[in-house]
Amino acid sequence: MISARDLGKTFRPPGTVRDLLRGRLFGEPRVALANVSLDVAAGEIVCVMGPNGSGKSTLLRILAGLLSPSTGQAKVTGHDVRQQSARIRREVTLVVGDERSFHWPLTGRENLMFFAALCGLSRKQAGLRVADMLERVGLTEMADRRFQEYSRGTRQRLAIARGLLGQPRVLLLDEPTLGVDVRGAHEIRRFLREHVAGQTGRAALLGTNDPGEARALADRVLFLERGHVRAQSSPDAIERFLGVSCGQS
Amino acid sequence: MAAADAGYPSYPVWFLRILLATVRRELAELGRYRMAMMVRVLTFALGVLSLYFFSRFVGAAPNQHLERYGTSYLAFGIVGLIAMELQHVGVSVFAQRVRMAQVMGYLEAQLATPAPPWLVLIGSPIYDFAAATLRSALYLVGASAFCGVSLQRVQPASLLLVLLVVVPAFMGLGLLAGAATLLARRANPVAAVMGGLSLLLSGVLYPVSVLPAGLQSVAALLPLTHALEALRLALLLGASPAELAPHVLSLGIFAAVLAPAGFGLFAYGFHRARIDGSLTHY
Repeated sequence: MISARDLGKTFRPPGTVRDLLRGRLFGEPRVALANVSLDVAAGEIVCVMGPNGSGKSTLLRILAGLLSPSTGQAKVTGHDVRQQSARIRREVTLVVGDERSFHWPLTGRENLMFFAALCGLSRKQAGLRVADMLERVGLTEMADRRFQEYSRGTRQRLAIARGLLGQPRVLLLDEPTLGVDVRGAHEIRRFLREHVAGQTGRAALLGTNDPGEARALADRVLFLERGHVRAQSSPDAIERFLGVSCGQS
Repeated sequence: MAAADAGYPSYPVWFLRILLATVRRELAELGRYRMAMMVRVLTFALGVLSLYFFSRFVGAAPNQHLERYGTSYLAFGIVGLIAMELQHVGVSVFAQRVRMAQVMGYLEAQLATPAPPWLVLIGSPIYDFAAATLRSALYLVGASAFCGVSLQRVQPASLLLVLLVVVPAFMGLGLLAGAATLLARRANPVAAVMGGLSLLLSGVLYPVSVLPAGLQSVAALLPLTHALEALRLALLLGASPAELAPHVLSLGIFAAVLAPAGFGLFAYGFHRARIDGSLTHY
């Protein structure tokens, strides 16, 4: 489902006044990702771990077709991320936990109805799909309350429901339990185990800082540091690599 | 147009669904911010009232510059303010929406959906432009009902013709401004410059004929100058489409140049944003 070889991304920020005075349009290049290779098969959940700024989000956004890689190549469901981003967005969803990506004055249902239209669904189809997704993530009763009234965990579940609206084959999740309390995080992980991979045959790549989350969800873990792959192994082996131990969450 | 892909609607149908969803979203948000809507209506009403008293002052003396419009200063000024608002919406709203979506975080989530980016991005500005047109029509009706502005000579065919060339000309400018916002990651400088120049030169509050000859030549290079003249002729004097031909032709040239240039630059801006990451960072 996902295949990446020697993937790299270097950002070139706009130049400061000092750069411009030195005749340079851009500031110092910043390597966000370097020589990253990975494969994710159908039904598999792979976690991308690493400290802040390690390149997790950059990798997910490249695979979602939102960011062009500087070097290397990657294919998602057989489509090249550089040339076929439009095709990729039809089979891949990026679930961003960023609360700002919703319209706060609208209800959860209204938010999802808008995104269902972006997925090409008619109003009738959208109504059915949205109701189904809300039920799956356990938000039916809260669907008609405004987004701004939702707790952090509820917002994250709504983000996952939004990600599933287009019935993607690959799910890319960027820190889906960030800031969620222990119980809420447990619920989200249970949902992801049951509805995202496994029997559904979907592949999922999940960016996280949390070794416990990796242990609870991942078949394999890719550990990034400063854009480079430092280790790629089972959650247990990564925990030993990191020198931490986390119980099942 | 052919179907976009198996399982997805054709682009026109998809666009219509997004547009309707945008309208529903905007109306729902508007309904929850009633105070903001009331303030906006009140602000315009206060502007019209000021214009009404200013009109009484200006109308107290014969004015050779207004003679050719065969109407009061109030009608002249209201059409000027309405066209100015249409230009403002056309030029600034696209850039504002792009910038707001970047800063607020909507942009990435919406562009990560299967919808083609251009379908995602043009829904909101079209809603804004349609809403501004509707608002303008209501203001005119209000001015006619309460302030005695005569609209008996309106030529609907001429008005439609003018709108058909004004919309792509202003939207072309808007796309250029949106592209500048994407590329520069800054608020829209194009709208501020266009707004200031247009207010000074295009005949919003006074006819272009009061300007020195040199500035009149510069005014002819601004789309709003032609849009205003054509709108006033169609709304106030009932000019036929043939009588509007010179202004419609000028606006058509603006549209033919600005719309493709705007689309081209915006496509480039989007391509650059995918490379430098400004779809997701700002």
